[in-house]
Amino acid sequence: MSDLTSIGAAAAAPAGAVPAAGVDPALASFIYTEARLADEARYSEWEALWDDDAKYWVPMHPDHDPKVNVSYIYDNRRRIRSRVAQLNSGNRHSQTPPSVLRRLITNLEVVAQDADTTTVAGNFVIYEYRFDLTVWAGRYEYRIRARGGDLKLAAKTVHLVNAGGPVSTMSFLI
Amino acid sequence: MTELDTSAQVGKVDVAALVEPDRVHGSVYTSQEVYDQEMDRIFRNGWVFVAHDSEVPEPGDYVTRRIAGEPWIVVRGKDGEVRVLANRCTHRGNRLCNADAGNSSSFRCPYHGWTFSNDGHLTGVPMRDGYGSSFHAVRDAMGLAPAAAVDSYGGFVFASLNPPAITLREHLGNSTVALDRLLALSPTGELNLRAGWMKHDMRCNWKMVMENNVDGYHALFTHASVYDAVKPAKVSHVPSKVEVYVRDLGNGHSEIDYAKEYTRLDEEFIWFGRIRREKLPQYVAAMEEARGPADTHRAFVVGPPHTLIFPNLFLAEMNIMTVEPLGPGRAIAYTTPALIPGADEVNEKTLRRSEGAMGPAGFLIADDGEIGARNQLGLAAGSPEWVVLRRGEESDITDETGIVNHDKSAETPQRGWWKHWSQVLTGTTTAAAPDA
Repeated sequence: MSDLTSIGAAAAAPAGAVPAAGVDPALASFIYTEARLADEARYSEWEALWDDDAKYWVPMHPDHDPKVNVSYIYDNRRRIRSRVAQLNSGNRHSQTPPSVLRRLITNLEVVAQDADTTTVAGNFVIYEYRFDLTVWAGRYEYRIRARGGDLKLAAKTVHLVNAGGPVSTMSFLI
Repeated sequence: MTELDTSAQVGKVDVAALVEPDRVHGSVYTSQEVYDQEMDRIFRNGWVFVAHDSEVPEPGDYVTRRIAGEPWIVVRGKDGEVRVLANRCTHRGNRLCNADAGNSSSFRCPYHGWTFSNDGHLTGVPMRDGYGSSFHAVRDAMGLAPAAAVDSYGGFVFASLNPPAITLREHLGNSTVALDRLLALSPTGELNLRAGWMKHDMRCNWKMVMENNVDGYHALFTHASVYDAVKPAKVSHVPSKVEVYVRDLGNGHSEIDYAKEYTRLDEEFIWFGRIRREKLPQYVAAMEEARGPADTHRAFVVGPPHTLIFPNLFLAEMNIMTVEPLGPGRAIAYTTPALIPGADEVNEKTLRRSEGAMGPAGFLIADDGEIGARNQLGLAAGSPEWVVLRRGEESDITDETGIVNHDKSAETPQRGWWKHWSQVLTGTTTAAAPDA
């Protein structure tokens, strides 16, 4: 179980503090686990990280409102289940075989904190090898909830640096 | 050496030899020379979809687009007219407007400060004395070049960069029935296409993107993962079990038409997740007030069109797709949901359905993109040379709506596309002139 008191202290840290040092190791570990499961196409294990009120969002612009704008992905928990079921079917052609993926996550900072939920943001680079090498980059924002003795992913937002331009097929777990 | 060598050294490729009634030569997807001819004949000399009225609702509103690789501004002037203007400073060629969308009464070139009003006139030239006595002549002659023709139907704005041989109505032909079918779902007869365009980079020829949209044969296979793992198809894909038709509407337009099957079932919203009308009370009330109960019921039963309008517009039921060719092996598919002004309870569902099906992460289109990319890779094989489009040829019938086939898996739409494509490229019809 993570020490939420220390996370709260990190959120209030002055500008210039070393951010990574302020992110609870348990939260960082959760983030890296999520990344590894996505990279390795371990779909069902990845799905199990999500909380019931999950929101998995890849907008086309950071200021967009899902009530009026279309997103590349705006999955609730039910659609995450469907997405994983499709990937597990073996007939999701755009991920059969799965892309070879490795992602780097860095510059982690705690950006918000309430009683049971911590919002952590950081930058990412993903190397995807399929027909050739495709590089994806952007900013992740995670809402991670302490639930019982567990951490659960309540929301993950992916701000692609190229969200405004043409985007390659993105049916892997980004 | 292949039977039909399309390499550059043989000079102008004989396009007429690439299309037969029931097959097309693989080079139609891979040849740079064929591609260059397409850009010239289809995209610079025929009607193409450029934007929707709702994207530029107010005077000064603009969006920027590319047609055949060339930059254009679609802008509504203070007179209310929508113009399509070359997005290039007439002085030294700088791209004038660099935003995707915005509102401005004028466009100022950042290079030397030349300023153009949004109706295209050159209004400002810094340090005019440098032009001496010829200044007024220079200013008057150097406005932004407009597309030769701009017209619209139901809010869908089309342009022909060079003077068109036929009117937009003549080009649209039978496809206006499909546009009307979409507009019949809106109480006001208007649409809102302002949710944003998904931009999907596809590693395939632009024509694969388009003709796949009216391929009734692929769904059970390409999209097996959706039907097996997520939800069953809205109606059966097995042709003998359903009253679903494919249709060559003429002029290269074509469709898959579910209207008869939905009418036979007489069930509303099969095409919208089988939602019950009680869940959409404000929308239903607005529709019944505007159109009466009978027409409302019919609109809810038959639903939106699944219709391809040659060359670059696909009415994808409650989505609109357009395609931008970027060379023989690359295209961008743009998709936006067709929202209904004032119908928020419908629109939020449409947005979520759009994300579910369409775009680079969509449950459907991501796999179409993959199949397109593999098609492009397969066509690199020199042999066999031809792509076969023979399905249903013997069961095609002709009626007042076009060439119809009762077998949804028939390649009737593809045959119609290619017949028209060939006529346009070979000049046996003017760009997009009626086939008859």
